[in-house]
Amino acid sequence: MKTNEVPQDDVPYFYETLKRACYAVNDEGKYVIVPSIGWKIEEVINGLAIDELAAKLEETRKAVLAGLKSPLAYHMERRQMNPKLLAKTADIPKFRVKRHFRPEIFRKLEPAVLDRYAKALAVTLEELKTVPE
Amino acid sequence: MMTETTINGKPFKHLYAAHCESGVTASFFRHEGVDISEPLVFGIGSGIFFGHLPFIKWVGMPLSTYRAQPGAIFRKAAKRLGGEFVSKRFRNPQEGMDELRRVLRTGQIVAIRTNVYWLPYFPRRFRNNFNGHNLIVLYEVENGFRLSDPNWDHLIDISAEDLERARFARGPLEPRGFMYYPKTIRPNPDLRTACIKGMKDTCNMMLKIPLPLFGIRGMRYLAKKIKNSPGKVGFNEACRQLAHLVRMQEEIGTGGGGFRFMYAAFLQEASDLFGGSDDLARLSREMTSIGDLWRDFAVIAVHIIKQRGQSEDNFDKASELLLTCASREEEFFKDLREVVGKLKA
Repeated sequence: MKTNEVPQDDVPYFYETLKRACYAVNDEGKYVIVPSIGWKIEEVINGLAIDELAAKLEETRKAVLAGLKSPLAYHMERRQMNPKLLAKTADIPKFRVKRHFRPEIFRKLEPAVLDRYAKALAVTLEELKTVPE
Repeated sequence: MMTETTINGKPFKHLYAAHCESGVTASFFRHEGVDISEPLVFGIGSGIFFGHLPFIKWVGMPLSTYRAQPGAIFRKAAKRLGGEFVSKRFRNPQEGMDELRRVLRTGQIVAIRTNVYWLPYFPRRFRNNFNGHNLIVLYEVENGFRLSDPNWDHLIDISAEDLERARFARGPLEPRGFMYYPKTIRPNPDLRTACIKGMKDTCNMMLKIPLPLFGIRGMRYLAKKIKNSPGKVGFNEACRQLAHLVRMQEEIGTGGGGFRFMYAAFLQEASDLFGGSDDLARLSREMTSIGDLWRDFAVIAVHIIKQRGQSEDNFDKASELLLTCASREEEFFKDLREVVGKLKA
């Protein structure tokens, strides 16, 4: 890659404040670092993964509003966690975490347990009990 | 933007780097007065690699890696350059933060391993639960710490709460507050011997691991898998897997086969170290064009995904390109092995 081939594509909201350091060859044939502000190709690939996550999250949100899942499932996905990771972070056994995805069981949880989830997911207690409308 | 600061009266110059681990390691050596660049550390630490691990999942899909496992570059480079490091892990987050503060107060800069998701200054789209980002903590500031993150071109402040979360995130490759800092660093390391060791190790890793998942064999295995994937799992799922592969190449791989270019930069510096060795300079150019091939692979993959296989770019072509990468790299590392054998420290 030559220094003038380092991608400088204007893809807003992608790198934000990051400028990626790329090693490229300058005119004298020497390697130098060139900061890149973004690459379309990379943005597409990253976008696919982000969209997939967002679609899943939206599905879960609707399921919560429909009363099929507890808000805990939504907040777990929002933090890109899975039951195993959430169980470890909140220090609650995985089978219990999975049970707590059922709204009727989640509703009866004690404040101490909710507190642990809130802490693990870095949300407030109020947020934990609801999902955005 | 600030890139320089002083720690206990000693100037610290922030190193802007392409990869976190080699950047952090190089920063330590430079802070102790050893003139060494990021590519040199990368090459000496045998950073370049390839591996495809179908049984290890990252965000639910097989892991492919374009570099050595996290921690290896640091460990190998430190050993080969004669640096002794103190490293610690903690059970208790409070203990980990206290120890970090204690060491910082002595005027020592400390590297830590963090989870990317919980670093608030990271671009939102890059934040995922990956527990392998290295950065240096310089000193305490009000309500937090000042960081030198090699991926950024300036220094960054972070709150103590966020840092604790990032250090003690759970999941695969848990950092458990992992922190490390130099005990002693040899002021004049023998760079030539270190380079030779690094290059030999790399050749062995790329050519000699007798499993079909690593090195050149791993690339061939993956190429075959890509070729068969549309028939096996359906076009959509095959696209998803291909996208995932490229994402690992680009995001975790510091952009556009970035590790290949960094290795080429290393060979260029090594060539100067060995009195302008023509062989190494030639190999550096060859590695540059291999890096370009990897970039082409990313471009083709995106064409396949965007045009749903309607263009002339299809899975067969992607697979073929990967095979070309494999045979070029095989030639390259065989060549390098011969050249290294002739070098004298």
